[in-house]
Amino acid sequence: MNTSQTRSLGPLARLALAVACTLLALPALALAQQGATISGRVTSEAGEALANASVFLQGTSIGTLTDAEGRYAFNVSPQNVTGGPATLTARRIGFRQASAEIQLVAGNISQDFTLESMPTQLQAVVTTALGITKEKSQLGSAQQQLSTEELNTTRSQSFVDQLQGKVSGLTITGSGTAGGSSKIVLRGSNSINGNNTPLFVVDGFPVANDNRGSTPDGGSLSNLGVDAGSTISDINPDDIETISVLKGPNAAALYGSRAANGAIIITTKHGRSGQVRTQLNTSYTWERPSIFIDWQNLYGQGSAGNFRYVDGKGGGINDNYDQSYGPRLDGRLIDQFTGPQQPWVAHPDNVDSFFDTGHTFSTTVAVSGGTENANARLSLGNTNISGVIPANSFHNITGSLGGELKLGSRISTTASLQYARNRAKNRPGMGYNTGILEQFLWFGRQVDMDALRNQFYDEDGNLFNWNHNFHNNPFWLQYENPQRDNRERVITSASGTYKVNDWLNATLRAGLDSYNWRFERMFAKGNLAFTNANYAGAFTFLNQYNSENNIDFLLNATRSLTDRLSVDGLFGATRRYSEYRTDQTYTAGISVPGIYNVSNAAISPTLSNYYSQRQTNSVYGSLAFTWDGWWTVEGTARNDWSSTLPRRNNSYFYPSVNTSIVLTEAIPSLASNVLSYLKLRAAYAQVGNDASPYQLASTYNGESNKFGSLPLYAVSTNIANFNLKPELTNSFEVGAEASFFDDRISLDASYYDKSTRNQIINLVVSSTGGFLTKSLNAGEITNHGFEALVTLVPLRTGDLEWTTSFNFARNRSEVVSLAPGLNTVVLASQRSATVEAHVGEPYGALYGRTYKRDATTGELLLSNGLPQQGPTALLGNINPDWTGGWNNTIKYRQFSLGFLVDIRQGGETFSNTNMMCEQSGACANTLLGREVDWNNPGIVGKGIDEATGQPNEKNVTSEQWFQAKWLINEAYTYDLSYVKLRELRVGYNVPTSFVNRLSASAANVSLVARNLWTHKNIPNIDPEFAYSSGNAQGFEYMPIPQNRSIGLNVQITP
Amino acid sequence: MMIIKRLATIAAALMLGAGVAACNPDSLTRQNTDPNNPTDAPPGPVFTNAVRMAVNRWLGSGYSMNQTSFVTQQLAQTTYPTVDSYVDLQAASTSGTFDGAYSGELSNLEKVIEKGETLERPSIYGPAQVMQAWVYAYVTDTYGDVPYSEALQADKPDGAVTPSYDAQKDIYAGLLQSLGNAATDMAGASGASEGLGSADVIYGGNLQKWQRFANSLRARLALRLVNVDPATANAELAAAFAGPGGVFESNADNAILVWPGDGVYDNPWTNANKGRDDRRMSRTLMNVLINSNDPRTGVYAQPVEDSTVYPNGYGGMPNGLLQDSSSKWFSLASRPGLAFYPGVTSYGTFGTSAGLSTPSYVMTYAEVMFIKAEAAQRGLGGLSPADAEANYKAAITASLEQWGITDAATINAFLARPEIAYKGGTDGLKQIAVQKWVALFTDGGQAWAEWRRTCQPSTLVPGPAAIVNYIPRRFFYSTREASVNADNMQAAIARQGPDNFGTRVYWDSNPDAAPTCTPAP
Repeated sequence: MNTSQTRSLGPLARLALAVACTLLALPALALAQQGATISGRVTSEAGEALANASVFLQGTSIGTLTDAEGRYAFNVSPQNVTGGPATLTARRIGFRQASAEIQLVAGNISQDFTLESMPTQLQAVVTTALGITKEKSQLGSAQQQLSTEELNTTRSQSFVDQLQGKVSGLTITGSGTAGGSSKIVLRGSNSINGNNTPLFVVDGFPVANDNRGSTPDGGSLSNLGVDAGSTISDINPDDIETISVLKGPNAAALYGSRAANGAIIITTKHGRSGQVRTQLNTSYTWERPSIFIDWQNLYGQGSAGNFRYVDGKGGGINDNYDQSYGPRLDGRLIDQFTGPQQPWVAHPDNVDSFFDTGHTFSTTVAVSGGTENANARLSLGNTNISGVIPANSFHNITGSLGGELKLGSRISTTASLQYARNRAKNRPGMGYNTGILEQFLWFGRQVDMDALRNQFYDEDGNLFNWNHNFHNNPFWLQYENPQRDNRERVITSASGTYKVNDWLNATLRAGLDSYNWRFERMFAKGNLAFTNANYAGAFTFLNQYNSENNIDFLLNATRSLTDRLSVDGLFGATRRYSEYRTDQTYTAGISVPGIYNVSNAAISPTLSNYYSQRQTNSVYGSLAFTWDGWWTVEGTARNDWSSTLPRRNNSYFYPSVNTSIVLTEAIPSLASNVLSYLKLRAAYAQVGNDASPYQLASTYNGESNKFGSLPLYAVSTNIANFNLKPELTNSFEVGAEASFFDDRISLDASYYDKSTRNQIINLVVSSTGGFLTKSLNAGEITNHGFEALVTLVPLRTGDLEWTTSFNFARNRSEVVSLAPGLNTVVLASQRSATVEAHVGEPYGALYGRTYKRDATTGELLLSNGLPQQGPTALLGNINPDWTGGWNNTIKYRQFSLGFLVDIRQGGETFSNTNMMCEQSGACANTLLGREVDWNNPGIVGKGIDEATGQPNEKNVTSEQWFQAKWLINEAYTYDLSYVKLRELRVGYNVPTSFVNRLSASAANVSLVARNLWTHKNIPNIDPEFAYSSGNAQGFEYMPIPQNRSIGLNVQITP
Repeated sequence: MMIIKRLATIAAALMLGAGVAACNPDSLTRQNTDPNNPTDAPPGPVFTNAVRMAVNRWLGSGYSMNQTSFVTQQLAQTTYPTVDSYVDLQAASTSGTFDGAYSGELSNLEKVIEKGETLERPSIYGPAQVMQAWVYAYVTDTYGDVPYSEALQADKPDGAVTPSYDAQKDIYAGLLQSLGNAATDMAGASGASEGLGSADVIYGGNLQKWQRFANSLRARLALRLVNVDPATANAELAAAFAGPGGVFESNADNAILVWPGDGVYDNPWTNANKGRDDRRMSRTLMNVLINSNDPRTGVYAQPVEDSTVYPNGYGGMPNGLLQDSSSKWFSLASRPGLAFYPGVTSYGTFGTSAGLSTPSYVMTYAEVMFIKAEAAQRGLGGLSPADAEANYKAAITASLEQWGITDAATINAFLARPEIAYKGGTDGLKQIAVQKWVALFTDGGQAWAEWRRTCQPSTLVPGPAAIVNYIPRRFFYSTREASVNADNMQAAIARQGPDNFGTRVYWDSNPDAAPTCTPAP
């Protein structure tokens, strides 16, 4: 049904576009007459040009809109040139209207205007889709914009992390490692198996934000097992002028498929005419993990209260064990890995002291300047991070050059080049099997960390460690198993705009974003996870190449049809082409230690190549009519042709409409001292989405390793589908923007409702059909939610001003349907717990094993004094009930204080960390039952003995209790709410008299801090973690906590 | 106006261009041809891969050495006793075996059969049918009723995406018939020129040996039915022994997979023990070996680290302990398998890399002789009790030789031991069952199935930490099936019994009929 609708709308929409273009052209016929020409410039009090101001002769429909430089010019036909006085009026939303008396005579008349602002955040020029600037008052859908100052309050490794808590509806989860990834979701997840992150656009061109994180508990050579960052962090935050967040598909309808999850539009800084200006931003920060585990320090390694070290492999007493149910740490002499008969004492700081203090040094220098006809900006950035994990470092260099050149009055050109180079060393392994922090859960609490730090090998050249059965020395892992990766990226674009006439521009532009990423991970002899024990080491090399180029042709028309009615029209066509290539080489065994090269491979290396390409051709258009500056109706239409869909389904059309009305302008009597501004808006949009490449035909997959000399092939476990259709997201939203008491209070609120149907999913099917998944279109997920941003100025007296804002977002999702006969899709699973897209539940429902309970009383049923696994049940949902941010700026004379509180309420996780550290006896709550000695007083579990039906009286040891309890997922399901003091900045503005001597406009010295304080409900871990960079969330495995950072920042503003 | 016109022309050209791109989707569609993977592949590499997958699964570290060898108490766990107490044998742990078998080797063997049938070459589809039957038998023996007649067709236009579950009785009938047909079809076909050739990693394209394997496997399946359907067992045993090409005649006929041992494709037991030192020999198996002074003791097991503990240096640990009592056995019980570590001399050395290419035994001549011995003792398949002892001795001899004990004096001394010397009657059947169970070491699935059928050795009892008070008689169905094929799975449960460890599969449903099960468990 959908297909036929899509097909029938396609030609209709194309016709509509053609008609629209023609209509746009018609009024031009009326121009080109003789008479008077009135021209001038409209500026603000601050001297800034005001674009899109309407200038007209009062009482007539004669007039025009100002251009980007604030200039206007229009002709008055001879019959209208009265020779007498006339009133010329300039008006623009956000400013008080101004009028001037002129003599309307033939010839040139010049009249400038300076408009007095009525400042409110709701009334400004903002960036929207395709990089077009618009009056926010004329936008029909939700948008939030951040300036460079709001963005760069403090310093963090990626500008994305700086968005945390500042944009309602945007959820960001950063990483605790240097150069790690950030997980981003806007207004909830739409897609079961597809991408759920918004599209990033830099200066009009989509750029890649690939997450290079991989499965966190993957202990294999082919799985990197480290978090190698998000590629969007290649953009230097100091090069960003504004970030505009287009929240729903409504705002992003013109970007097509990839903006179904919203779009984040980045505008970079450009040069301006005038003298050469210099910008400097430099900071130095110190970092420590913000959350540590609450360890127990009464009992050391071992089991049943016994331990003696001989070889760390089981040769002693429990010395192969990596748990802390051993003897009490009372100073007795026991053979340990550090030597025979050593005092058996606690090292309470042993884990905490593993971490170094991290340092981040970051500097950007930029120069810009220009003339009337040309301008340019050059910036260089450098960031050096030495991480909190030993030997982990990250180095980033960026260079950016952008310029504009006007050729005559009609042609202007721009070009930009951004270069980024990232080098990371020794990114730590994540998660359970290969994670660097995993062994601190399975740990001897008596272990002396300094002994491990100071010695990697014993006198005989064997590895030196506290345990040789499960673990490698963590310092040896970081220092002797080198990992490095290097990404070089170029984002470049060029455009030419031809000004056809006063109201019509034609632009041709092209952009290329490409990067090469080289990843090398090397494993020394004896690496338990990766190196084959018979060989001298192992390695994995990976090369990736990613590129995308876009060529756009745009026709952009802006003109007033009458003095009250203006029209904005756009027609565009885009060709997008992208390529991806990856080559991987790995082996579990090399011959000569230290030579990590295929020529040294002792085991035939496994090789893999993958290449994909895809192309989308698109035509699109939009037409917006604005009446009197306060009522706008806009329609957009787009048709895509995708290479990844079957030929008969590869064309898909999607439209959107939106409207906004500024009630306080429409009905001036509505405006008062109390209500200064009120705007209502509504929007509906549809966005289509295509498939990944090569989903249409089933294949056989080969193995690079031959069986002896025999080639191997296996049929793919996915049943391909040559009838795939595009996915469709329908979205509706309404919103209101209002300000009160002369803008002392403003409100921007939205309600949205969206649904994604025909999802392209690799549906899990019964394996007994011979396959594991089947590609098909199925399922529907809905999301509805509410977002609000309230800004107040509670204090504005003399030198003191306090601005505070609160943003709030709640999203409710529901998996409405999946494929026929299917009621759940498992997104991730761990230890009998699953995170599912389950019909009737919100996306991300958490299921797991409960306690076995008595049906009538609800009391636990114990067997031999131990808790038991009950049936699987719904334990919660991984998504928060709501998120919010409270942002404050207090200014007094030269001083300023800013802080941001970031709040997450609700959402649950199954915590592997808490489960493991109880099972291993490492964390403090496992002292229960061994307060006196290892089995004294023991634990008499509260509940009913299943065998007798009587209350349990059986006493078990703490070790037995916790090693029975670990099977019960319910016991380790926690609430993920938190309140964090995310940002703090105390600043001092250097006096102007001094700054002027620096040829700058402002200079600021600040103390900056992040993640200073956290309130949380989950014990032992940071509730802010990403399990992976994909859709599999809701579990954690000893995540590396967010860092607390404190530092100094110096900014010189041009 | 000129400009307008020019612009209109540009716009028209652009729309035309876009239109052309849209109306000529060939160029777009062509970009979507996968350059990485072919849409078809020749049968040889698919067969090789399927055999590798199948052997690695059923004789490898998942099913055999981490699950069934613990259930049948040939191995025990010092470090992760939850396997031994059956916690880690619940659905979450065993689903991978079920799903992997269907989507892995069974599906790929189905493709080879389809290709062979299209080419009308028994030399291609015959070996694939035999291997598929070999796998299906493990699947149904482990879970009971499973999809069979509608399985493996989900990619066909009318193929079942949610196949129904067949009763095990019908699956066995299907497998027996399929093996008979394969043996017949392969008779007279040319294996070398038109067959799988070197891609046949078991017999190198020797179709006569494949016939023997087909008949031998048919005999294995036939005997398994003896407690519930003795008539069919009798007829099928006779047909198998008399099938075209016969059954295995010596160890040279053994179906074995020799691993390249290149670090990528290694013997799965060797590979698993190399990286983990948490498995020990079960006391149940070690007691049988030690009590009879079995020459295979030093092949199956390594001497205990602390050599002063046991008189002859070998010992096993109990199964199913709690963690705080299992750990001490780390150094008090024998590690498995000198067979997998030639050259090993002391603890901590995992031997030379030669162990990596130790073969996996898919089916052996020794097992066939044990089948014949039992058939003879029970007067089945055209054999008579008088033949039992000779077959029994030949079976033990074959097993010893298979494991590298070729010295005739050693073999004869072993055969003459009072525990081993054939007693005949029900005692003889028990001896046959116990010795067969010993010979099946490393094939945990068969050893477990034979124990279920014969109750021998009778010394198997659950450990103190076991979560059920009996030895599991089947595994749980896959958790995936519960979510995507629930109706058919529930129908099977309604027919067969609850989805738990205790439900008996069809051939295990009449224990009273087994003479070696006295008293019945």
